[in-house]
Amino acid sequence: MRVEYINPFVESAMSVLKSTVSENVKRGTPKLSTSINNIQGVAIIVGLAGQVSGRVVLDMSEETALNVASSMNGERLDSLDELVSATLTELGNMITGNAITKLHELGFKFDLTPPALFVGDNLRLTDNKIEALVVPLELEEGNLCINVAIKENIYK
Amino acid sequence: MKSASDFPTINAKIPDGLKEDGSKYRVLLVDDSIFVKKQLQQMLLSQDYEVVDTAADGEEAVAKYKQHYPNIDLVTMDITMPKMDGLTALEQIIEFDRSAKVVMISALGKEELVKKALLLGARNFIIKPLDRVKVLERLASVVKR
Ligand SMILES: [Mg+2]
Repeated sequence: MRVEYINPFVESAMSVLKSTVSENVKRGTPKLSTSINNIQGVAIIVGLAGQVSGRVVLDMSEETALNVASSMNGERLDSLDELVSATLTELGNMITGNAITKLHELGFKFDLTPPALFVGDNLRLTDNKIEALVVPLELEEGNLCINVAIKENIYK
Repeated sequence: MKSASDFPTINAKIPDGLKEDGSKYRVLLVDDSIFVKKQLQQMLLSQDYEVVDTAADGEEAVAKYKQHYPNIDLVTMDITMPKMDGLTALEQIIEFDRSAKVVMISALGKEELVKKALLLGARNFIIKPLDRVKVLERLASVVKR
């Protein structure tokens, strides 16, 4: 997996979170993950297509999700309602949208699928043969992980 | 001695959303996310714009533009939306009214996309996340031209 594909997503996540959620975002140690990831409670998933296939997942606990959505809206939100869902999917939109803009400037052609939001206690994400890089991000609102899995499509 | 309050109108900035005659610029707000709608609405109302209506997809945007025409001064247009995307809606609105003022607001800022939108007749292109000051500046520059 090529680092130049991954970095724009992590950098974009950092800068979007800084400008929309809170100034203090710390980046933890990246890990390569196995093919199955446990999701913490709320996951925003965006698919990638074009020169590559893969996906970007932002996952966090329900509590963190509510804190993040509250900060983005400037008001306390206490349940995973329509506004919270719209806020979190828009967060996924902005992070991936900004990242693929950067990737296009570098000459990589990626397209995005609209973000999907999943909520559940025991969500598992299974990817066959795609290795994922997981980067923990620490905020005052709680910790979240950005999980990027990309596979180059080989054209003959 | 005179205090600043004796000259209330000198330093007070006139809100962006007001025309010279004191009436409000009327905006059609298009975005499929209720989060973005709410965010934009707050920004616009803070400057005394009037949000005439909102739409959540391209089809609805075109229909509402026609319904309110000619009583719309500005359209803010998202790009990624269900049913019909914002570029197609832009095209159809411009086809209907060549002088329509449409500003694209998207999380996507790819050069080819921005060029395409401007070529189709968009007046400006704002990239999300939305910075309040920047958004208001851009919208004011479009609406007052
Ligand atoms: Mg949208």
